[in-house]
Amino acid sequence: MTIPTRRLSLVASAGVLALSTGVAWAQDCPIKIGGMAPLSAPGTVVGGEAMRDAMLIAEEDINAAGGVLGCDIDVVIGDTEGLPEKGTALMEKFISQDGVVAVGGGYHSSVGVASKDVADRLQTPTVFAETWNDTITGDKQKYIFRIAPLSSWASSTIWKHALEIPGVEKVAILTENTDYGIPAAEETTRGLESGGKEVVTFSVDIGTQDYAGIVQRMKAENPDMIIVLATGEAGYNFQQQAADAGIGSLDMPFHAGQVSLESKAYWENVPDGNYAFVQRIGVPENLFTEEGKAFAAKYKERTGKDAVESYAMEAYDSIAIIAQAINEAGTTDADAVVAALEGIEHNGTLGKIYFPYGSGKDPSEDGHGDEYWHQWPDVALTVIQYQAEGENSGEATIVWPDAYKTGDPIFVNQ
Amino acid sequence: MLFWGVIVWMIVWGVAGSILIKRRYLARDLDTSNANFVGAMAGASLGPVGIAALWTKTPKSSNFLIVGLGLLTVLLVAVTFSFADPENICVTSGGFVASQFVNGLIIGIIYGFMALGLSLIFSILGVVSFAHGEFYMIGGMLVYFITAVWIPGVPPLLAVMGACAIAFVIGAVFERLMLTPMYHGKIDRPVEYGILVTFGLAFTLQYFVQALAGANPVKAQRFLSFPRWSWPEGADPVWIKTSRGSMTLFEQVSISSPRFTAAITCILVLLALLYLLHRTWTGKALRAVSQDREAAAIAGINPDRMNMLAFALGGMIAALAGALLVQAFSWLPQVGAIPAMRSFVIVVLGGLGSLPGAFVGGIMVGLVEAAGTGCVPDPQKAASYIPAYGMIVLTLTLLLRPTGMFGRRFASGAHGQF
Repeated sequence: MTIPTRRLSLVASAGVLALSTGVAWAQDCPIKIGGMAPLSAPGTVVGGEAMRDAMLIAEEDINAAGGVLGCDIDVVIGDTEGLPEKGTALMEKFISQDGVVAVGGGYHSSVGVASKDVADRLQTPTVFAETWNDTITGDKQKYIFRIAPLSSWASSTIWKHALEIPGVEKVAILTENTDYGIPAAEETTRGLESGGKEVVTFSVDIGTQDYAGIVQRMKAENPDMIIVLATGEAGYNFQQQAADAGIGSLDMPFHAGQVSLESKAYWENVPDGNYAFVQRIGVPENLFTEEGKAFAAKYKERTGKDAVESYAMEAYDSIAIIAQAINEAGTTDADAVVAALEGIEHNGTLGKIYFPYGSGKDPSEDGHGDEYWHQWPDVALTVIQYQAEGENSGEATIVWPDAYKTGDPIFVNQ
Repeated sequence: MLFWGVIVWMIVWGVAGSILIKRRYLARDLDTSNANFVGAMAGASLGPVGIAALWTKTPKSSNFLIVGLGLLTVLLVAVTFSFADPENICVTSGGFVASQFVNGLIIGIIYGFMALGLSLIFSILGVVSFAHGEFYMIGGMLVYFITAVWIPGVPPLLAVMGACAIAFVIGAVFERLMLTPMYHGKIDRPVEYGILVTFGLAFTLQYFVQALAGANPVKAQRFLSFPRWSWPEGADPVWIKTSRGSMTLFEQVSISSPRFTAAITCILVLLALLYLLHRTWTGKALRAVSQDREAAAIAGINPDRMNMLAFALGGMIAALAGALLVQAFSWLPQVGAIPAMRSFVIVVLGGLGSLPGAFVGGIMVGLVEAAGTGCVPDPQKAASYIPAYGMIVLTLTLLLRPTGMFGRRFASGAHGQF
């Protein structure tokens, strides 16, 4: 009985060895890269679907160009639902089960804040595409990079623009009580107050649908301008309900949430949304890079949309830059990929992407705060205004800053 | 400080009243079902004087006494609040209060209407339908697709009726296929089975719709655009003024067209439902099954058929609520989660299985949410706590009346074989 058992053990061991060798080979090709996106409510599904499409186009483009280290890449898309706990679970799954070597994408700041710790703990290079909260890079974690703007930059775009609008003395802010909304509201409030404006802030849960009571209370505050810092369809719900109550974008300067860049959904959900201002990341389409133009054409053909959203471009770039870093590192080893990312110069759809601060140079050396760590510093931020019903966000007038301005703003309060 | 001092005073005397009056009623061998509530309200509103009066007289806990003491307590809170925060907009602006009241009433009617369906299902089948939010979602999705995609230009009323008909059929088929085995002893643990199988329906519907329609928010155009009109002409203030999307009463209370049409339709359908339940044979049969299934069966009523009708009707009511609100809110496959949660709160608050309780509970939750959103001094917190306001009312009600406001001690619903 003993001999057959030993033989059996040997055969089994050989089998396991053979299998494990096979598995190891299979894990090498294709090279898996995680792609985070909110694909279910309460996350911003319109944003998530745009990012998913963009990341899959990136996968196709990279594979068509020969792949990475001689292998195809496989972008594994995961749904964060816009919830931090789902984000951390997804990051764990990506790394522990799916065997990804790096992660791109990411929309909601709260998801980024929660999941970055998992990525850093499990030593997986992660390039966040659209998560704005300053602490994401401010914690100076080795494996965490970002190509989205800092929340403080984005907020400053909004308040600096608001300060230039005539007749605005009091501003009402509607914010979601998340890692994106709360700091963004605080930054915006500080900026507006520095310009002598009075500010009142209302914060809501991310999935709030009914704003009737809040709208009435906001109306009673008699604001001259409203700023929405809520992601997802919450922004649509609030804006249309405000319009119904006579404090919408047809009645006063109104800065809508970023989801309003999704023109088709915007006009369907906010039929009274003309003259709204919306923040946009990236330069106008006529100033796109060659990579940006090529991506925009493919994206429009794939999705049937008339314009390309900035978060789609960021998502594309987050995958493309990881692929370039792996190629430059010559390996999928995490530390080598991080080193490659720190020295990278990537010609992306949004422009030339690089990370000037990291282990080689601390942000403080140039007088910057910790949030500049592994942060792309040249993000272009503009404000557009819808000036015709049904207008496409890509063709909407850029009204701020002057460097990118394509037309004058219309102030409905004047 | 004044406000919280009074609240602490009310809590202390409320707790004392609840305990003492119940003991007193027990000692005198009187009905104690409302003693906790009456004692607590008397203690909270009138302090030791109220408790002493009840202790001495031990009156019957009539509806008049219950409602009177409840309103007195609410009034005391309101008066205290007005002294504690005299600059609050809820104190200084009557127009704002009226506006919040109307908003709360309208959304409360819609909440109550949706919860009515859940309560109807529970009262007949004894099953808590976890797919209620998905019926709500389907109602809205169907109206959107009928009016915007499949038959553009179709009158919204036809689309709403179509959505209700489809939801009714889905409910009937599901009940017949998946819930009927519960009533014939084929299921060992019918309560758990009922929960799981309706959960399954919820997931199936949600992901089926997501697969077919995608997860982008959609919205139907408003069903009714008001003409530009004001009445009486030249009055100050104008009593009624309408613009395309909203109606303004006395230049203070603004009601959007989608909410207006939704609330009016809910009231009309509620009246029709009451007629059905109280004036028709089918309605009486439904109520009979709700009260005693075996006796109803002996009287010639087919309880299985009533089960099917109740589940289909309940689902249709939720679908109707969704069909009416898809013109007000952005719609997603997951849109039913929050309304379903709120419906659970309302049916427990109103009393499991009680149809009037569901409706009154809905209005109460709507008003409390409006009051909280409008009057909590810090605007940043006022809106964040919306889901908590209903839970506070529910907790207080259950503490004082564990069966809910209109609940029966033993709710009906036979899960096993007769």
